[in-house]
Amino acid sequence: MILYFLTIICLLLLAPILLSFIKALKMILLFKKPISLLQGYRNFSKLMQKETIISSETSSITRYAPFLVLSPLLVTMFFLPPVVKGAFYVSFVDAFTITGLISLSTFFLMLLGLDSASAFGGMGSSREAFISALVEPAMVLTIFSISMMAGDLGIGQAGVNLAYNFPAEHMSSFLFAAISFFILLIAENGRIPVDNPETHLELTMVHEAMILDLSGVYLAIIEMAASVKFVIFSSLFVSLFIPFGLEYSPVVAILIFIAKLFGVAIAVAFVEVNMAKLRLFKIPNLLGISIVFAFLSLITFYVLGY
Amino acid sequence: MIDFLIGLFLATLIISLFTTRLYGLLLWYSLNSLTLGLLALFIGHELDDMAMLITGIVTILIKTIGIPYILKNLSQKFHFVRQINPEIKVQYAIMLIPAILVFTFYLSEPITQMINENNNYIAISISSLFLSLLLMMEHKNIAPKIIGFLSMENALFLLGITATDGMPMLVEFGIFLDLLMAIVVMNLLFHNEEAKV
Repeated sequence: MILYFLTIICLLLLAPILLSFIKALKMILLFKKPISLLQGYRNFSKLMQKETIISSETSSITRYAPFLVLSPLLVTMFFLPPVVKGAFYVSFVDAFTITGLISLSTFFLMLLGLDSASAFGGMGSSREAFISALVEPAMVLTIFSISMMAGDLGIGQAGVNLAYNFPAEHMSSFLFAAISFFILLIAENGRIPVDNPETHLELTMVHEAMILDLSGVYLAIIEMAASVKFVIFSSLFVSLFIPFGLEYSPVVAILIFIAKLFGVAIAVAFVEVNMAKLRLFKIPNLLGISIVFAFLSLITFYVLGY
Repeated sequence: MIDFLIGLFLATLIISLFTTRLYGLLLWYSLNSLTLGLLALFIGHELDDMAMLITGIVTILIKTIGIPYILKNLSQKFHFVRQINPEIKVQYAIMLIPAILVFTFYLSEPITQMINENNNYIAISISSLFLSLLLMMEHKNIAPKIIGFLSMENALFLLGITATDGMPMLVEFGIFLDLLMAIVVMNLLFHNEEAKV
């Protein structure tokens, strides 16, 4: 039980560092002077000290929504597969619960965008609804197929099963699910082929458009939610699709896990540097590829698996 | 490992169905052939078959490096249209590709019952045959049609490797020579295309 809480705290502390790491790596690749890895914490403490201004046009949703964006993600943190051997984990949570919690958080983010009644907020919300409606079926299918391969519908149990007896005969099906989930990781976290997190240009904003009217504590909470979301996705990717290293002693296992998280961050940074942002109406094509691969992994599991 | 490579083979083929750029298509074709060559090397290593090892190396040399390079040079020489939009819309392709896969998996079931080992791979190679047919169908321009033809050849090669423990090396070399000849013939075809425009 102690290990369980320790890993969750460790992941939460790691969340801002990972996003700053991606940013720093991108700056190095673009021959700029990189930002510090602690920039996420600096931004957080700066925003906490600032005054919080709320537009007089808004309703009470704006006061509640930032907390409701963060809380489903924090709940999801408790359902992730275990990082070290012998740690407690919640075994009954399946693909639908995880996807549902993440989309609940997205739903409140969209409400927050609509509530300020600015043109940008509504635009961002409609785009986010457009993307997340395409992400959800693919995500359910992918996690479902990986848990079928692992032989258990619960995600925690599936992660443990994959680490101990890896289904080598389902390798092709496993690969399809991994490709699909990596596309989802990029799409749902608003990284470059889908959304550029660094600009405030009208044509490209999705996530930034919704939180344009926020300031102070609320903005800090939303940014924290974004980094927690990245940690959730990357640790799901790591424990379901790169499953090894669970059998070592706790300290080594956690170090291996963190190294793998940074590996995912490096992959995302390289994709971001090497790709141009897609037009908004081309995004269904990318997510369509993801849905095809998710479906394909289920088909290959069922038809060829036995 | 062989499962992994076969998965990668199908994955590169499916991504090439969604590509809208000619050079991207060439890259995916080259990766597709690379996985095929590695597959031949692995299976040859398992069966201890010298001929298959040689075919694997020749596949990597010709199909991964040679043919994409020649096609790229040709396309630069004749100023091809580099933006190739599929005629079949992506929405329909998303429906069509899994349908083709399910169809071929069940289509190949009687064949797989006859063969004892590697019976999963036959279904995948037949389905990649159909997918490369789709790649030929969904484009109007000539260059992606040629890539579709070449990936169909790749699928047949995969079928040859996995179903029959390797064809005789003479046949393989005949096929490679045919392919290079086909590229030369296509060169003439490009001349015609150029003359029309």
